[in-house]
Amino acid sequence: MIRYIQESRLEELFRILSRRGPLYLPLAEGPSLSFRPWSEGAPVDLKTVNSTVSAKEIFLPREEAYFCYRRAGRELALEPLEQEAANAVAFGLRACDLRGLEMLDRVFKDQDPPDGLYLRRREQTAIVALACAEPAPYCFCSLFGIDPARAGGADLQAWWHGEGLCLKALTAAGEELLSSAGELLHEGPAGAEEPPRVETGNFGLKLEGLPAGLRERFDDPVWEELYRSCLGCGACTYICPTCYCFDLEDFGHQEKGERYRCWDSCMFREFTLMAGGHNPRPTRKERVRNRFLHKLQYYPERYGEIACTGCGRCLRSCPVDLNIVQVIRALGGESR
Amino acid sequence: MTAVNPLLPQKVTLQEIVAETPEIKTLRLASEKGIPFDFIPGQCAMISLPPVGEALFSITSSPGCREYLEFSIKKVGAVTRALHELEPGQQLGLRGPYGNGFPLEALRGKDLLFIGGGIGLAPLRSLINYCLERRGDFGGIDILYGARTPEDLIRREEIMERWPAAPDTRVYLTVDAPYPGWEGHVAFVPAYLSELAFSPENRIAITCGPPAMIKFVLKALEELNFAPEQVITTLEMRMKCGVGKCGRCNIGSLYVCRDGPVFTLAQLRQLPPEY
Ligand SMILES: Cc1cc2nc3c(=O)[nH]c(=O)nc-3n(C[C@H](O)[C@H](O)[C@H](O)COP(=O)(O)OP(=O)(O)OC[C@H]3O[C@@H](n4cnc5c(N)ncnc54)[C@H](O)[C@@H]3O)c2cc1C
Ligand code: SF4
Ligand code: SF4
Ligand code: FES
Repeated sequence: MIRYIQESRLEELFRILSRRGPLYLPLAEGPSLSFRPWSEGAPVDLKTVNSTVSAKEIFLPREEAYFCYRRAGRELALEPLEQEAANAVAFGLRACDLRGLEMLDRVFKDQDPPDGLYLRRREQTAIVALACAEPAPYCFCSLFGIDPARAGGADLQAWWHGEGLCLKALTAAGEELLSSAGELLHEGPAGAEEPPRVETGNFGLKLEGLPAGLRERFDDPVWEELYRSCLGCGACTYICPTCYCFDLEDFGHQEKGERYRCWDSCMFREFTLMAGGHNPRPTRKERVRNRFLHKLQYYPERYGEIACTGCGRCLRSCPVDLNIVQVIRALGGESR
Repeated sequence: MTAVNPLLPQKVTLQEIVAETPEIKTLRLASEKGIPFDFIPGQCAMISLPPVGEALFSITSSPGCREYLEFSIKKVGAVTRALHELEPGQQLGLRGPYGNGFPLEALRGKDLLFIGGGIGLAPLRSLINYCLERRGDFGGIDILYGARTPEDLIRREEIMERWPAAPDTRVYLTVDAPYPGWEGHVAFVPAYLSELAFSPENRIAITCGPPAMIKFVLKALEELNFAPEQVITTLEMRMKCGVGKCGRCNIGSLYVCRDGPVFTLAQLRQLPPEY
């Protein structure tokens, strides 16, 4: 059964959903849009495609402390920190955001040992997917068989219709979200049983046409040219839904403090710098190659799928246009 | 399902800390039940000392020792310096074991040639003692070990007394340059290896040491006609998580922290040369 809510009453829905636990929504922060816990009056933007930073940060936050320590003399106490993830709702994820989560799931959930921090957030968060009414010029998710109107793995599918949102439960958790909203929701309008179809581009690329045999092309001269413009700023890795490198650090003093995990970037020199000064990926050439081969060869070899969702974020955000489409083209991955 | 956080260390106590050389100390760690976890030779563990952080080390004791884990640690940076300054009774964090460890089944019945340099003896020592505890399962054991000076040789009691006295076991020690009071061999490890000219027949060579040494050892073994499948080495990359997730230690699609650190030369040749 399709339910419906007027756009003007969404604030009331957010109020109800946020009573259960944190409600993550795309919130505007200046020119940037990212998934943040909603609070009364927060600048929600459910229209813009796509959030600047991907939805990965709901499950793999930019930073999170996971234990605190206390030292007294020779004694050390380690105390795990509780997460605030309970009964969260993530609202407004796009189909490509959900595909990104599938990629992270393989690493953090399915590969042994599972990552407790990620898993707890994942299990305790209901996901409301939002169909794209109109793709952005950078979108090319269709290349990876993603239907922007139908997100795999969501609990609820939402789509714009007239002056409001249609809502369709896909799981029991989705049903529960709908019933918690009670009177606020109306019966869906006639003729709106499914989200409307949306076409996205593919930049003239085809999945079968993507570069193969990359194992043999590690020393291809193409890498020698490609990396030169890279600034090593790391922006691409922070915004990308399929980048997940992290660092572990201590914050505190001798007696007391915390250990936290935070995003890191393989585009930084220090990432692989070893004691003694040796660095297996010493220049931007090795680092750019490693990042793109991770997407196109290493991740697929290990987990069976290309680690790109076609979300277009690197096309929009890399200051020198060293994005995945350029790299695929440079490697000869044209369909024409 | 509530999964535990694999990044959470458990608490262990430093039982003993012994200076091996000016730069290397051996630490003995134990939990209340003795060894905090089972492991196989070649595996590693992450030692934590907040607020300095954590670092990965090979477990150098043998799995046969149930009372404690030993680590030989070279002072090179922040964590290792802090660990060197500790006194017995200090509590620390520990998590592991990590990595694949040595392929024990493939070594069974073979003659074993261990080639170590400096701190590189640490992972080899765990395997050597493991083999000596099951002497009948393995053929002859030859151990070639070298360091810059005699002062830099670690585990003196074992390399000079216990191992040479073990059945069908020979130890060859060498130092880089003549040194007052040193009457043993003087040569770089790879040169001594070529000189000793071991036959590859039914033999597996296992080597660990500084990258420059490994490079020339591999070359020397090739010249002695060891096949790539008969040569085992360990790789070192910067590590943080130890469980194949933080993305730091990959070489191609392999993660050294879980698919390694032990590789045969045949496997290494399949990898991009990015280590
Ligand atoms: C599989 C494996 C097994 C290992 N086994 C052992 C073992 O058995 N024994 C052992 O001793 N070691 C072992 N190691 C190595 C050990 O992990 C490292 O020596 C250790 O992590 C160093 O940590 P640290 O904090 O002391 O050094 P860090 O302080 O992290 O590193 C110091 C180095 O980092 C760089 N650096 C840091 N800060 C700066 C700065 N401000 N400016 C410039 N450069 C900087 C420099 O290169 C410097 O030399 C092993 C490593 C691996 C991967
Ligand atoms: S590829 Fe672009 S976004 Fe990524 S580090 Fe280089 S310049 Fe920055
Ligand atoms: S590589 Fe670019 S297009 Fe692909 S998922 Fe990452 S940010 Fe999106
Ligand atoms: S140390 Fe994190 S992936 Fe290997």
